[in-house]
Amino acid sequence: MIDSILLVDDEDLFHLVFEDSCSLLDITLSLQSLTSSDEADKLFKKWFQEGPVEEKPDCVFVDLNIIGSSFDGIELIRKINFEYGNGVVIGIISSSDDKQEIEKAKSVGAQFWIIKSDEIEPRLEAFRKDYDVYKNKTAAFKVYK
Amino acid sequence: MISFGKDIESDLIALYKSKKIGLEGNLLKVIKTTNKEFQQYLEEAKTKDQETRRKRLEVTKQVQSQNKDLIEGQAEKEKLMLELKEALAESEKLREVAVDDLETLQKKTQFELIGLIVKVALGAVSAICILTTILYLYVLSKGLDSKIIESTWSNMFGIILTNCFSIIGTIMGVKHITDSKESKESKK
Repeated sequence: MIDSILLVDDEDLFHLVFEDSCSLLDITLSLQSLTSSDEADKLFKKWFQEGPVEEKPDCVFVDLNIIGSSFDGIELIRKINFEYGNGVVIGIISSSDDKQEIEKAKSVGAQFWIIKSDEIEPRLEAFRKDYDVYKNKTAAFKVYK
Repeated sequence: MISFGKDIESDLIALYKSKKIGLEGNLLKVIKTTNKEFQQYLEEAKTKDQETRRKRLEVTKQVQSQNKDLIEGQAEKEKLMLELKEALAESEKLREVAVDDLETLQKKTQFELIGLIVKVALGAVSAICILTTILYLYVLSKGLDSKIIESTWSNMFGIILTNCFSIIGTIMGVKHITDSKESKESKK
């Protein structure tokens, strides 16, 4: 089980879907959901400045296009990985499967790409199984279709 | 993991039995107990919580799907509206062209009619002039009484000259008004 997860997605309904799916699949006990990349950026900046903190999540799921934010999910991953220290398992969760965007995400250090759809549970289940290798940073980038 | 005292466990079980109020959510996954009755309580509460979540997940997915359809429908509607506006603008342009063509055709017909009237009138005037002149010349050559024909001939030329200038003036005036109208319309 993953200790804590942070979801950054502008769609409130998806927060509910994600929360219920994680609970039913026993993926995590602690889930925090944010609707903008700016909020996430502020939090990571704070955690980076304050040093190791318990609040910091173990795993971050970021949407690709976050409406109402100053920058998209790929830029957020770049900031988290290159500006605020790379201490989390991080990847994209999006309905897009654009190859160029996937390559961009890979280049900024995303570890996975989960494609959102009506049946998200099997993908989350598969991700849960692979989580340990992501945590050890030994897994190659993977797209969950 | 956390554990409750026996009193709390009993109170929670009693509350569940009497009011059907139980613990919910991820809290259930971190409670540890050796009390078999409370273990059963936790299992029941977990099952109930999972059922509730499953239902909510289903409903949320339905709403999400409906929202997606609505957004797609809205986008389709906007696209159709745009196409409709473009078609309307195109038909408006075609209508204007057709109206212009009709006006041109009407003007052409009018000009043709005026031309015909002018030709007939000129023919009649010329014929009378020639006839009167021939008659006048004949009277002069024969030495007949030319008083009446002389005055008729000079009056007729006077009237014809006056009318010619009047006609020229009218035609110039009409042409000027037509040109002004056309330039105003093209400016619009």
